[in-house]
Amino acid sequence: MIRIIRGHMIDITGIIIIALALFLFSFSSSIKDTFVIPPSWLNLNTIFLSILIEALPFVLIGVLIAGVIQIFVTEEHIQRWIPKNKVMAVIMSCIVGALFPACECGIVPIVRRLVVKGVPIHAAMGFMLTGPLINPIVIASTYMAFGNDFKIAGLRMGLGFLVAIMVAFAVSWIFKGNQFKASIISVSTHNHSKNQSLSTRFWSMLTHSIDEFFDMGKYLVMGAFLAAFVQTYMPAKSLLEAGNGPASSIIVMMGLAYVLSLCSEADAFIGASFSSIFPVSSILGFLIFGPMIDLKNTLLMLSVFRFKFVMVLLALVVSMVFITLMLLQSFL
Amino acid sequence: MQLQFQQAARALILLAFSSLIFKLHFTGEITKFINPKYESLSQVASVIFLILFFIQITRTWKVKKSSYHHCDQHDHDCDHNHDHGDSSFNTKKLISYFIIVFPLLTGFLLPAKVLDASIANKKGAILALSNQKQAPKEDKNKENSNPPEVMEESNINGQANPSIDDNPVDPALLENQQEEISEEEYNQLIQQLEQNQNIEMNDYVYAAYYEEMSKDINKFKGRKIELKGFVYKEDGFAQNQLVISRFLITHCVADASIIGFLSEFPEASSLDKDTWIKANGVIEITTYNGKELPVIKITDWEKISEPIEPYLYPISVKIL
Repeated sequence: MIRIIRGHMIDITGIIIIALALFLFSFSSSIKDTFVIPPSWLNLNTIFLSILIEALPFVLIGVLIAGVIQIFVTEEHIQRWIPKNKVMAVIMSCIVGALFPACECGIVPIVRRLVVKGVPIHAAMGFMLTGPLINPIVIASTYMAFGNDFKIAGLRMGLGFLVAIMVAFAVSWIFKGNQFKASIISVSTHNHSKNQSLSTRFWSMLTHSIDEFFDMGKYLVMGAFLAAFVQTYMPAKSLLEAGNGPASSIIVMMGLAYVLSLCSEADAFIGASFSSIFPVSSILGFLIFGPMIDLKNTLLMLSVFRFKFVMVLLALVVSMVFITLMLLQSFL
Repeated sequence: MQLQFQQAARALILLAFSSLIFKLHFTGEITKFINPKYESLSQVASVIFLILFFIQITRTWKVKKSSYHHCDQHDHDCDHNHDHGDSSFNTKKLISYFIIVFPLLTGFLLPAKVLDASIANKKGAILALSNQKQAPKEDKNKENSNPPEVMEESNINGQANPSIDDNPVDPALLENQQEEISEEEYNQLIQQLEQNQNIEMNDYVYAAYYEEMSKDINKFKGRKIELKGFVYKEDGFAQNQLVISRFLITHCVADASIIGFLSEFPEASSLDKDTWIKANGVIEITTYNGKELPVIKITDWEKISEPIEPYLYPISVKIL
């Protein structure tokens, strides 16, 4: 008897866990009427969950792609592909990022895996900044949102690319090493994958993906919650009314992009709705800054990189976007 | 054999995420969170969670020297940049598990709520509503010469194309409500809007029509309009004013933006915020904070219950 139980231990645990989940499932409908919850909390909860539901597929896919990189890309590959020259490496990484369709939450686990594999930090940042900003879906949605006009979409891509290259260069001057958090001991990964069969490697990729999801999950949840909180309780109106001058309107729109944490595929329509209140340059600030770094994304990066590195990167992106737009303001 | 409580907890969490998303789809509540166009994407997430759950299940029992516990095998050489869930349990871990479980608790226990007027207020509704391209002075001159022309045109339309007036939108186009339409079909929709003297703002065309009307409201002055939405009011409105508004969802509820029309009718003061109404009226133009804004003089209206699909979604146009 005991032997039978032991033999089916995994199945039994599975059944117990499914039963527990079903219990939660049925329990959930009965509790709804017993509490009186302030409507603003429910609004907060709805926005919070919607950000999560929207981001989860991308994070999961990102984690799985990271797993594939873990298996199939070796350090030797990376060393062969990435140019030794910093300038070339930055430009190449930005172009690869532009060709790679990703969103800002899915790209963090991928970047982390790439850095583990030996991609220099400046190249990884170039990839991370252009990936979510420049891709076909974002181009299409921006084109549509601004009345089927390529001007804004083109400026968004062009200036975004420029800013990404400048930030990546700045990173290459300031930082060396992988900039991982101290708690992350990164022992380089090679040889173990070679002498194992493909199925074994595949299996370990999946279990790694689970661990990675739990690592990032908590930061994703916190980021989504903060973004939802800001949306529910911060009156955008007073913020918007603060942006009168050319400089302050750019700052206001960038701030809005940061706290709203919208997916880069969806933010064009929101940006377009402000085009009567603000000049083109501040709309571009919203469109370029948002996909590069936002609140949700900052927390995800904190799950991987050092606090100091994330803050410096944030400051770099903010200042580069701001300076570029201020300089170009008279031409727009 | 030894039960790994943390591994079991992780399995439970993965399954709970999968079933939460499944439940939202099953009950149809998912439309309160995301644009139905992206439903399949979140279904993919649900399936991935389920697969990960089945994989995680195998890790809940630790058998010494087991063949399926690979992470043990290469513990010494695999990159240790994440937690495998094997290390000892402490307060810090408890907090991080709580954070991950938190959305599951609120997702299962709290009902989904349709966004209401209080959110509209936070989003700075009237700023969004006055989204008119401010007419430069040249246009104003034109405007003076325009009305007779417009009148003429509309008369011609009224006589020559009475059938179009009866058929607000090509019914075939509406029935299909395809997820994506070609640019040609979209232009056809817009053309119908421009020709119609009676504009019916149904859910499918609302966003497209709204955008088109925002471009040049003068073109639509004096036309009849039929619309529905929830009541939104703001300080500074007159007694007889309210906004009949809707939320437009591009991707998920977080990117909801408010669109709607300022409306005027005597009974407006008696209506509470968030009441859903259906109304008919005539489009006029007013100025609010120095900006031109359409205002609808309501001729008749009625209260309705909140529609099953309270949100609007933009029509996606195929470009390529």
